[in-house]
Amino acid sequence: MATTLAGSAADLRADVREAVRDLVLVLADSKRLLGFRYGAWILGAPELETGIACASMAQDEWGHARLMYALLKDFDEDVDRLEHARPPREYRSMEVLDREPDDWAGVVGLNALADTALSVQLAALQRCGYLPLRQRVEKLLAEEQYHRAHGMAWARRYAAATPAAREAFASVARATLPPLLAWFGPQDGRGALLANAGICESAPDELRRGFLALVAPVLEATAVAWPVAEAVPLELDGFDEVRRRRAGAGEGPDAETITRVRGDRNRDFLLE
Amino acid sequence: MVYEVFARKARGDRLQHIGSVSAPGDELAKVYAHATYDEEKWFDMWVAPRDRFLEVFNVDRGVFVGER
Repeated sequence: MATTLAGSAADLRADVREAVRDLVLVLADSKRLLGFRYGAWILGAPELETGIACASMAQDEWGHARLMYALLKDFDEDVDRLEHARPPREYRSMEVLDREPDDWAGVVGLNALADTALSVQLAALQRCGYLPLRQRVEKLLAEEQYHRAHGMAWARRYAAATPAAREAFASVARATLPPLLAWFGPQDGRGALLANAGICESAPDELRRGFLALVAPVLEATAVAWPVAEAVPLELDGFDEVRRRRAGAGEGPDAETITRVRGDRNRDFLLE
Repeated sequence: MVYEVFARKARGDRLQHIGSVSAPGDELAKVYAHATYDEEKWFDMWVAPRDRFLEVFNVDRGVFVGER
């Protein structure tokens, strides 16, 4: 299919427009939730410096989320409602962000694996035919470089630590990888539509391979008895392509998280 | 391990000492320096382990401290 360059959402074909809007909301919600998860560890992280890194990454993710939500105005969305009035079941954030991580290994898992999966998706939008999205991606990816450096350095630190610590990270990796691999979606669904329309540079299988190539070195180093990457089950039966969640993944983030993410208790001060 | 952090505002400027971070190794030292000191716009930034700095002299303790 010939790629057209669209300067606004109105220039996109209806089915492509809907898929792009959904993708932007997936990115916006995931970044908002990821920022919230990082933010919860500013205090209580293993080192002062890594807490500062969490603060900085939380700021980045919330900044990215705001850019993505703002982009949805171009799709005639009510951005205020999207940011402040949706129930948890309407969130499109990654499954792995639904719950607060149990421990620091869980935070490192989100940082090294979920954040990297988001960046792989973003990187595939660098030549996006929908220009307002393309123009935002570069800044996001530049900031993401050090998120990955932080996540990978910590994962390697787990690899070099005690067997118990290594196993703590391995168990996070085993729980996190299947939902993240599924997150890229089925090869023949919306991912194909976005690739064929010149929105996304790669179809889901290629994105999965790219993601695995980036995380494989730390997985091999850390995951005791981790089966080869190809053995990670790809759980796509009944996959929800709009919310990008596996069947039976649960309704969405917990209610308390969403109350705080929406800023429910500060509505009186909201300026728009 | 403590790492000293250096940066400069613009190409050609003198490298300034801007602070320090504690980190278990080079990789996290770089990440932590970036996270801690990136509020300002720097041209470049460097870290080096504090224990690799060698004192050349100190007025209070004698003219030359090369041999101690």
